[in-house]
Amino acid sequence: MTPHDPPRPKRGPHLVLMACYALFILASGARAAVQIATKFHVAPLAYTLSAVAAVTYVAGWFAIRRAAHGRPRFAEVMLWVELAGVVVIGTLSLVKRDWFPDASVWSDYGSGYGWVPAALPVAALLWLHRTHEPVTEPLEEAA
Amino acid sequence: MHGPLAPIAWIAVGYAAVVTAAAGLGLVLKAPRPRWLDQLAWMLEALCAVLALGALGSLLRGHRPESMSTHVGYMIAVVCILPVALGSVREERDSWSCGVVAVAALATGVVAVRLMMTR
Repeated sequence: MTPHDPPRPKRGPHLVLMACYALFILASGARAAVQIATKFHVAPLAYTLSAVAAVTYVAGWFAIRRAAHGRPRFAEVMLWVELAGVVVIGTLSLVKRDWFPDASVWSDYGSGYGWVPAALPVAALLWLHRTHEPVTEPLEEAA
Repeated sequence: MHGPLAPIAWIAVGYAAVVTAAAGLGLVLKAPRPRWLDQLAWMLEALCAVLALGALGSLLRGHRPESMSTHVGYMIAVVCILPVALGSVREERDSWSCGVVAVAALATGVVAVRLMMTR
């Protein structure tokens, strides 16, 4: 570690967020792998989207890890992408039922997983906002 | 859930709920993670190992679940989640590490239920 590197954070809510993301990497990745390997023809769109969700969770895990180390740029993009994915696919699964003969991870906003897929990016964005608020200089010092 | 594995599964699920509650309480109270919480979690791991071995024995005796790959996936997950979670916070003992244990114990309980549902 060079003197310019930020100190390595070990404590904080990001530990719980990363644990949740790791679980969803396992859950959605295994689900997508089994569905794509055994019955891809049944619901190709839904199963492909489950695989996309798994990739998003991998990216989200790394994004939170980077943000916890003082580099929030990737997380600022990735978490919004994830939230957009949950909202768009959740809405499509409700209004276009025929596109989803079987559920994907984000169908019905993640109801198959207790709506945790919808809550997770919101919680991560709140954490990001609280820990990486832009620092403004006090007026007295600036003057 | 029925069959000879059901009592073990129910005990594992109930015990996972206790570990989740204890770890969640530690997080809410912002208490450093006590050693006994690790011991509770490893006891849950032992129960899950018994459950997974029972499920494996059932497979070896010729029982075929509706989806073999899903069932085997849950069998592996039920014994892997807690050791990975505890390993990731091995050096960290603040209250947020209680949150990691809570998430892992909750997930283990859910997977134990799913394991029995896919039999």
